[in-house]
Amino acid sequence: MPKAKIANTIRQLRFAHGEMTQQDLAGRVGCTRQTIIVLEKERYVPSLSLAFRIARVFNRPIEDIFELVEES
Amino acid sequence: MAAWIIVASLIAALFIGVTTRTLARNRPDPELGGLPATPLERLGWIGLGVTAVLGLGLAVLVMFGGADGFFDDSPYRFVFWLLLYTGILVWFAAWYMAKRRYGAVVIDERDRAVLARSLSVESMLGLLSLVIWTIALTEAFADAGAIPLGYLQLLFWSTLIAGAFGRSAGVVLGYRRGIAVDA
Repeated sequence: MPKAKIANTIRQLRFAHGEMTQQDLAGRVGCTRQTIIVLEKERYVPSLSLAFRIARVFNRPIEDIFELVEES
Repeated sequence: MAAWIIVASLIAALFIGVTTRTLARNRPDPELGGLPATPLERLGWIGLGVTAVLGLGLAVLVMFGGADGFFDDSPYRFVFWLLLYTGILVWFAAWYMAKRRYGAVVIDERDRAVLARSLSVESMLGLLSLVIWTIALTEAFADAGAIPLGYLQLLFWSTLIAGAFGRSAGVVLGYRRGIAVDA
């Protein structure tokens, strides 16, 4: 199976939502700011529940935010 | 028995050295440079410091007083209990301050993943401590056929300290190495 990673658009969405800070987003989804930072840098794959909470904050379907990118 | 205590202390010192070297080698990803430490990572560093001081303090006390002397001599015992309770108090104070500073979310899912992984380091060091004690006590008291009671205390506390040291090292290493990023 090819290696894959989960890309996301959290950073762009944060700025599109009134320049929401990482700390604000962290507080709203129930995680630490450090986790938001590593998520934005795509160094960490969130659990399904965290992904859904993030999607709910931005009022978007989960697949609009997270995408499976297969590496060749 | 003094020789065995010295050997065991040297092995403990070796492990502290290896852990320090491993931590130094696994520097945080440059991409994440400047990332503030999570509350759990800070607690991990505090735990490393407290358990290293406790472990070395215990080794020094026992080297000077011997295991029998250690538990017969109340000043030695007093210093050890003082070290132990101070360490526990420092740990709880750090935890309390982290909760006050960061509010409800002190540990999130990423922290829990790091914490779960650190269990393997804790188990490894705990088991290693038991192996060292078992060999040392067997070799030292094989002829006598009985082990002085004081050694049971030493065995228990050193295994507990080694485990806590391993858990803290595992937490700090977990953040330095990072956790799985593949889907």
